[in-house]
Amino acid sequence: MTARRSPWLSLAAFAVYFFLLGPLVIVAASAVSDTEYLAFPPEGFSLRWFQRIFEVSAFLDTFWISLQIAVAGTVLALAVGIPAAFALKRHGVALPSWMGTFFVLPILVPEIVFGFSLLRSVSVALDLPIVPTLLIGHTVIVLPYCVRVVSASLANFDFSAQEAAISLGCPPVRSFFAVVLPNIRAGILAAFILAFITSLNNVPVSLFLIGPGVSTLPIQMLIYVENFFDPTIAALSVLLMVLTVVVMAVVEKTLGLGYFVR
Amino acid sequence: MHRRFLPWLLVAPAGLVILVILVLPILDTARGTLDAAAGHGQAYLDFFDRGLNRGILWRTTKLALIVTAIAVVLGLPTAFYIARSPQARRSMLIVAAVFPLLTGTVVRSFAWIVILGRNGLLNDVLLWAGVIGEPIGLLYTETAIVLGLAYLFTPLMILSLVGVLENIDHDLMDAARSLGATPAATFRQVTLPLAVPGLIVGSVLVFTGSFTAYTTPVLLGGQRNTVLATLLYREAMVEFDWPAASTIAVIMMIVTVAIVLTMGWLARRMNPAVE
Amino acid sequence: MTQSLSLAGIDAHYGRTQVLFDLDLDIGRGELVSLLGASGCGKTTTLRLVAGFLPPSSGTVMLGDQDIARLPAHRRDIGLVFQNYALFPHMTVADNVGFGLKQRGMAAARRRSLVADMLARVGLDAFAGRYPAALSGGQKQRVALARALVIKPSLLLFDEPLSNLDAKLRIDMRVEIRALQQAHGTTALYVTHDQEEAFSISDRVAIMEGGRISQFDRPEVLYRQPANAFVARFVGFETQLPMAVTARGADHVAVTAAGGASFRLDPADWGGLPDRFVLGARAEGLRVEAGEGGDGLPATVHTRTYLGRQYQYRADTPAGPLTVTGGMTAPLEEGERGTIRLNPEQCCILPAAA
Repeated sequence: MTARRSPWLSLAAFAVYFFLLGPLVIVAASAVSDTEYLAFPPEGFSLRWFQRIFEVSAFLDTFWISLQIAVAGTVLALAVGIPAAFALKRHGVALPSWMGTFFVLPILVPEIVFGFSLLRSVSVALDLPIVPTLLIGHTVIVLPYCVRVVSASLANFDFSAQEAAISLGCPPVRSFFAVVLPNIRAGILAAFILAFITSLNNVPVSLFLIGPGVSTLPIQMLIYVENFFDPTIAALSVLLMVLTVVVMAVVEKTLGLGYFVR
Repeated sequence: MHRRFLPWLLVAPAGLVILVILVLPILDTARGTLDAAAGHGQAYLDFFDRGLNRGILWRTTKLALIVTAIAVVLGLPTAFYIARSPQARRSMLIVAAVFPLLTGTVVRSFAWIVILGRNGLLNDVLLWAGVIGEPIGLLYTETAIVLGLAYLFTPLMILSLVGVLENIDHDLMDAARSLGATPAATFRQVTLPLAVPGLIVGSVLVFTGSFTAYTTPVLLGGQRNTVLATLLYREAMVEFDWPAASTIAVIMMIVTVAIVLTMGWLARRMNPAVE
Repeated sequence: MTQSLSLAGIDAHYGRTQVLFDLDLDIGRGELVSLLGASGCGKTTTLRLVAGFLPPSSGTVMLGDQDIARLPAHRRDIGLVFQNYALFPHMTVADNVGFGLKQRGMAAARRRSLVADMLARVGLDAFAGRYPAALSGGQKQRVALARALVIKPSLLLFDEPLSNLDAKLRIDMRVEIRALQQAHGTTALYVTHDQEEAFSISDRVAIMEGGRISQFDRPEVLYRQPANAFVARFVGFETQLPMAVTARGADHVAVTAAGGASFRLDPADWGGLPDRFVLGARAEGLRVEAGEGGDGLPATVHTRTYLGRQYQYRADTPAGPLTVTGGMTAPLEEGERGTIRLNPEQCCILPAAA
């Protein structure tokens, strides 16, 4: 049941949505401008800026690195995050209450502080190469999303089903894979996607860790924007938005979008 | 006894990852600022001794406060509207608020370059309307940073509030109405106080996010409008003055932790019913 | 000042679906009337409509001599007690109870004294400064009651107020609600799905089905003389057998049930029977005894269940399988043949199906 709303409220909400989505529409539109500089409304129509993305090897190289870091970091985070989420939900009483907070620390700590500390106290102090440092940094950043989304998914799972499996002779460890895991598949997929996108977009942590020949896509975009004013980044933004839309559509189809809201 | 250690065994890998990769390096950075040769706390005295630094700290705080206020003003009516919408439209509106969040900060800050630049939309509109005679410098100002950050963080405020507003039992509003409260009084005396937890969570997220933001101030603020995050980066990667960078990092940590703790305390104080 | 309530010709819709059909209901001043029915029968809809949370598509809602059908909820002066109490979690007990008085612009001092009086009445004076989260279910319900009563409403509405309480507390609370309602003389509309609760608390009960009122009468009448098959089943006349009168004598009436079995009934017990009717019977209305012959319905019992004061059986009869009862002495064995006789006290006569 919904209460009647005042027209002023609708107007305010409409204005806020215009503010939220308008700039993205503007970016998309300026991507097809046939000009050497950024223009909105676009002047002329051209897809050459999309073509240009693929001619700049730095974009392709960094996209490849970002993709690898995001996938590997997310898989690592899930590998340690799923058991942690399970312990928090299933054995929460046996653990101290600050444990839940501990796993959201990476969200509370300013990313730029984390990035700098990682550089200073890990990368330099231990002389760790760039890619492994990026990987562990991203693993930590996405870990809270993995723990939270998987926990939310476990909250809907009735653990007596696992006990039933054990009582039927299934050993505890196998019962986790046979009964628990299949029931939180959707949550794990949602966690994967949320973590993947978070990693793919990260700037402040990667910022300190990149080095000669190794960078990530957002950092490369940042450098490009600081130095060039042509619509290439607009075109690249469109591609990234399309990727986001596709991912959201996949999640919507398989899980419903409630998973993004948790 | 196997059962007693099982929960710890399960949280251990993730806990160690956070401990070793996040907590220890940050503690190490903090320790580094204290045992500098010059003496305990000297790094902080040096930081606050420079008027430039004090100005940057003040600017960063001021911008974060303004952005938080804007996010509340924009987020509250929108979240209220979403929470009162029928189910189907509600999911659509939430998706539309989540979408910008899933788009990278570079893309979202870049959008404001297109809008605020010399050849940008806003200058075109103002020229066309005859308000200005020639393009003005809207970009690389504090206003540009505020716009960019408000744009970045308003969806977070909306989602924090929607989560809380949706969970308010609709019967409470009906009860207030049946006891004679007008719609406005119901909002003021029942809905708003119950939305305070969401308001606090949202404000913490927006304030700390704005206070520590790097990408948006770099792209929209330019060289002149330095904030703490850009200062930290410059000290670390341009000046290579790591003690100074560590000091800034610790100051950012302290402010963030203080805000989180204060607001958490405030939330408990203002809502004694939630136990 | 309490008022009478009169609904006339009410239709209501949720979207395209019609949920109330031409509903009429009159409640006298100071009377407590229950709406009783299964979920989805329209009882809560009716209550929300009276409270002002759902506009009727047509019809009038008269409170005293004022039609309130188009009046916004906050101007109706109706006290509402919710199923889940709906206490404001961010206000103390005293602030909850004082909320309605505050909306009426009452000065703080006078408000405090009225709230204190009301809390004393419901036995919660010691809890004025507590928050709802610190109260038990029964205490919350008392606060909700106090909050609705303290505004001296024209009408009190109860939406399944006891369904979140345990059985023992439910009985105590319903006695208390009834006492408070009578002490204040407030007109009240009470919605419940619990027949015992409705019958014990109400002056009159309206049994609802499919958005219509099936029967509206005193509990005693509903319990003994249901007007139709639905109400009969609702008050426990589970068995309903179509019958026809075949002969009327001075000391007996001969009837046949479907399936060809015939009986004799004593006209002294059964009054003026129509030629065709439906016999409604509770399980206690069908008594099975050992032995065959006589005026009863022949039966073969199986599945015996021990109920403490008596036995219950499932029995095969010419009229089909029936649930019947038998005495404690000489219980029938499963498979044994017997005869079913009627106990008029536990039976009713319903109009024949059209």
